[in-house]
Amino acid sequence: MKAVKTDLPRLYMVSGNQGFSCPEKQFPELVRRVTALVPVVVQLREKHLAAKALFELALTVKRHIHATGSLLFINERFDIALAAGADGVHFPENSCPLGKAAAFLSGRIAGKSTHSLEAALRAEADGTDYLIFGPVFETPLKKRYGPPMGLGKLGEICRSVSVPVYAIGGITPQNTRQCLEYGAYGVAAMSVFHASENLEGTLENFHTAFER
Amino acid sequence: MQAAKALRGGATMVQLRHKSASGSELYEWASSIQELCHTHGAACIVNDRLDIALAADADGVHLGQEDLPADVARRLLGKDKILGVSVSSVAEAEKALQAEADYIGLGHIYPTASKQKSSQPIGPGSIAEIARALPLPVIAIGGITGKNVCEVIKAGACGVAVISAVADAPDPEKAVSLLIKKMQSCLQ
Repeated sequence: MKAVKTDLPRLYMVSGNQGFSCPEKQFPELVRRVTALVPVVVQLREKHLAAKALFELALTVKRHIHATGSLLFINERFDIALAAGADGVHFPENSCPLGKAAAFLSGRIAGKSTHSLEAALRAEADGTDYLIFGPVFETPLKKRYGPPMGLGKLGEICRSVSVPVYAIGGITPQNTRQCLEYGAYGVAAMSVFHASENLEGTLENFHTAFER
Repeated sequence: MQAAKALRGGATMVQLRHKSASGSELYEWASSIQELCHTHGAACIVNDRLDIALAADADGVHLGQEDLPADVARRLLGKDKILGVSVSSVAEAEKALQAEADYIGLGHIYPTASKQKSSQPIGPGSIAEIARALPLPVIAIGGITGKNVCEVIKAGACGVAVISAVADAPDPEKAVSLLIKKMQSCLQ
């Protein structure tokens, strides 16, 4: 297995779609609460923000994230990741080619979203450090990401690559154990963190799923 | 392709600007326009997306006031690449100078429909003011046409940036060469 540059947390939180009226204020607060309780990868993905605002938001959340053992990744914009001192960059499926960006990452972690085995193998060949694969389960966001691909497909991807794979799409603490049993390294989610009435309980349940 | 026509007409710099394109599309465009620019001896710069400019090895990046801060961008870009910054006041121009910008895009000079603008046009007088105050090449932008290009060049702009004057012209190649001829003749 390819050595991961840092021990990646098993829980991965993607920003955006949290339904915040003011993400610049509410998102740092959510990050502060989550990172205080569990190690997590926070991927900043705020496509509506201009680069300056995204850069400033990255600096703000980085303070909470680096005060704990968590990691900050930036979606796609590796220039902002470098400028803000983030730990990694996450490339969406239709991003600038990973191979072209890699030379500029100076040791940062690079990840890639994939929705097929073919894309997963290509991303691994391009040098990705981890993959996000999905949607595994039904999700309210499925219009954007297509129909669920199921645990079987997740298992196939995990068997076919040697980099860590995060399952995404309809992830809950209850189905996390299944994802791990099918070979996922961890799970990634967006709305579960915000929709949760009881954030502490949700995080505790995720933690238990990883420990079992 | 509009860029190819503009280059044949004599454009010396092409800025790639597309807010809604995916990263892979932008990368492909930047790479092909960069190559095209080089065969014409022109420069290719990418608007806002410093990541794309770096990955595609473009000649530089152009930043607006809502993009990455210019001094931060300069550190990532290195000394040799072109850094341009959009400004609309002396204060913004001074900040661009401190960030070691290679030029400033000053505007919008005249009313324009190419970009949604909430502020009033700053007029050609601002060109002279900034060109006198700062040792930075001024590229005038916003509503520049063949009719007013002499006015901005005489005011001290070292060049002009256009969208609609070329892109919406029936013959973009001819539109560029006419603009260049006008700029040359009005300084004689």
